[in-house]
Amino acid sequence: MRKTRTGWLLLAPSMIILFVVGIVPFIYVLYVGFFDWNLFSASREMNFTGVDNYRQLVFDPLFLDALWVTIRFTFFAVVSQLIIGFFLAQMLLRDFPGKSFFRTIHTIPLMIAPIAIGAIWRLLTIPGFGPVPFLLDRWFDFDFNIGTNASQAFLAIVIMDIWHWTPFVTLTMLAGLSALPVEPREAALVDGANGWQVFRYITLPQMQPVVLTVLFIRIMDGLRTVDEINMLTNGGGPGTSTRTVGIHIFRVVFPQTDYGYGSAMSLLTLYLTIVACWFLFVSLTQVRRR
Amino acid sequence: MADQEQIHHPVEHQVEVDRPHLLPIYTNAFDRVFISIVLLVAIHLLWMRFLEAYLPLEIATIISLVVGYIIIRRG
Repeated sequence: MRKTRTGWLLLAPSMIILFVVGIVPFIYVLYVGFFDWNLFSASREMNFTGVDNYRQLVFDPLFLDALWVTIRFTFFAVVSQLIIGFFLAQMLLRDFPGKSFFRTIHTIPLMIAPIAIGAIWRLLTIPGFGPVPFLLDRWFDFDFNIGTNASQAFLAIVIMDIWHWTPFVTLTMLAGLSALPVEPREAALVDGANGWQVFRYITLPQMQPVVLTVLFIRIMDGLRTVDEINMLTNGGGPGTSTRTVGIHIFRVVFPQTDYGYGSAMSLLTLYLTIVACWFLFVSLTQVRRR
Repeated sequence: MADQEQIHHPVEHQVEVDRPHLLPIYTNAFDRVFISIVLLVAIHLLWMRFLEAYLPLEIATIISLVVGYIIIRRG
């Protein structure tokens, strides 16, 4: 009994902090989502509207479009990062000249703030000024313009995110690969397994917890990306082709000061993130009933 | 005296019956409550999008509660 009480006392500070910074804001957003609230209106009052914000949400073409952009962006960015990160981690396991230098250079994007990443990529890709459109035009006679071409703008934000976050995936995978026991791999090689079979039946199953962790972190990050895309494409342009849910919420909540609707959008995004991660977790780890 | 009475009473065993399950995965109580809440939100959103013009939202609430109850009881 005494031990239990001491345990709870030691846990209490963390739980109080988690409750105050995690649960309370969530409940507040949940509450505000059922109101029509404009702080700068004449009345400034919160008018209860029930599920009207959510009703408006499921018919809002701008929100649904932003949601689709976000899902596509997250899918392409995360899949690419996982594949590239895994192969880079495999490469960094081996010794080669300049390995330490490459590892240091490769980790630099992780240290840069997302808004600065957006600024760097904007300078790189700005039409008529950046080196990327200039060189593509000079070498391949290819017109690269993220200001007018929606597909190229989308490609640019995906490549930017891959460049920014692949080092994180690589480092995590490298830690996972370094910690793997060598005995199963050696036993498989002695039994005559080839490289692909060792990868498919030994390395990949052993790496599953690491891959899942990276996948969840990157999906959650991808679904809430705002700053770097906002900076690169100037608020999700051209048109709404790169406007993610985060940018859309920002544009609704701050310039339009529609807090109730913004809360509803935030909650729905959170809901979709949790459901996506849960489905992924269940499909990759749970044992099916016979 | 009380001990003798206990000895004479038949022993009752709790027999676990393997009832048919709804969900294709093994779940605990928390999983089932979570799945019920996820379904409640999904049913309401889809109802508002596609069916509310013909049928009131209260039906979605009733369906969600029934589905949630069944999942929690027999998940």
